[in-house]
Amino acid sequence: MIERTRIVLPRKLQDEIVAHARESAPRECCGLLFGDGEVVDRLVRGRNVHPTPETRYEIDPAQLRKALLSGDDSDRYLVGIYHSHPATKPEPSFTDVTSARWPAQVYVLTSLQSDPPKVFAYRITNGEAKKIPIVES
Amino acid sequence: MPVTVRLPGALREATGGETKLTTSGGTLRDVIAEIDRRHPGFAARVLDEAGALRSYVNVYIGEDDARTRGGSGAAVPDGSEVMVIPAMAGGGG
Repeated sequence: MIERTRIVLPRKLQDEIVAHARESAPRECCGLLFGDGEVVDRLVRGRNVHPTPETRYEIDPAQLRKALLSGDDSDRYLVGIYHSHPATKPEPSFTDVTSARWPAQVYVLTSLQSDPPKVFAYRITNGEAKKIPIVES
Repeated sequence: MPVTVRLPGALREATGGETKLTTSGGTLRDVIAEIDRRHPGFAARVLDEAGALRSYVNVYIGEDDARTRGGSGAAVPDGSEVMVIPAMAGGGG
């Protein structure tokens, strides 16, 4: 399994995450971050299909399946997953930690509590979230 | 032709890191049981005590969501590609 200790996320893509979060509010937004290793070069907006999208997200599994078909299951190309917290801190919640089932991927999170919103990155493994640095390029 | 089962995400932890396995056809429950014989504990990650798919696991048989074809009882013909996908979920609430 790839052990990502940082994520390279260009400012333009961070801005796209924030724009998606603002457009989706009061619902949570979510999406996929593709690239190679720890470098993200492409963002795919996800459809949040959770029945209570104001406080939860689930990326449409059919959309996820299609996205995964283009990869090779090595975890190399699916670098991360992003979502927003419209009304809570930009930290993984208890729900985020207990629902995390993608240990090789980086969980990127933004919150609309601050203005302008900031973007943070975490690894969530074995029931524990650890903040990792975001490098812009 | 065997069934190919792809395992993205955390489920590979239950198969010693294997991300692609082959099994015989049958029902989805049969496929899961065959993997469980090779990797004990796998079935418990995918099925609940009643033998139904766990809520946080999505299974596709080809392009079809297994839940629309009978859940764990869905037919998995020889040659099918099965993808077992953990939910990508969470939230601030």
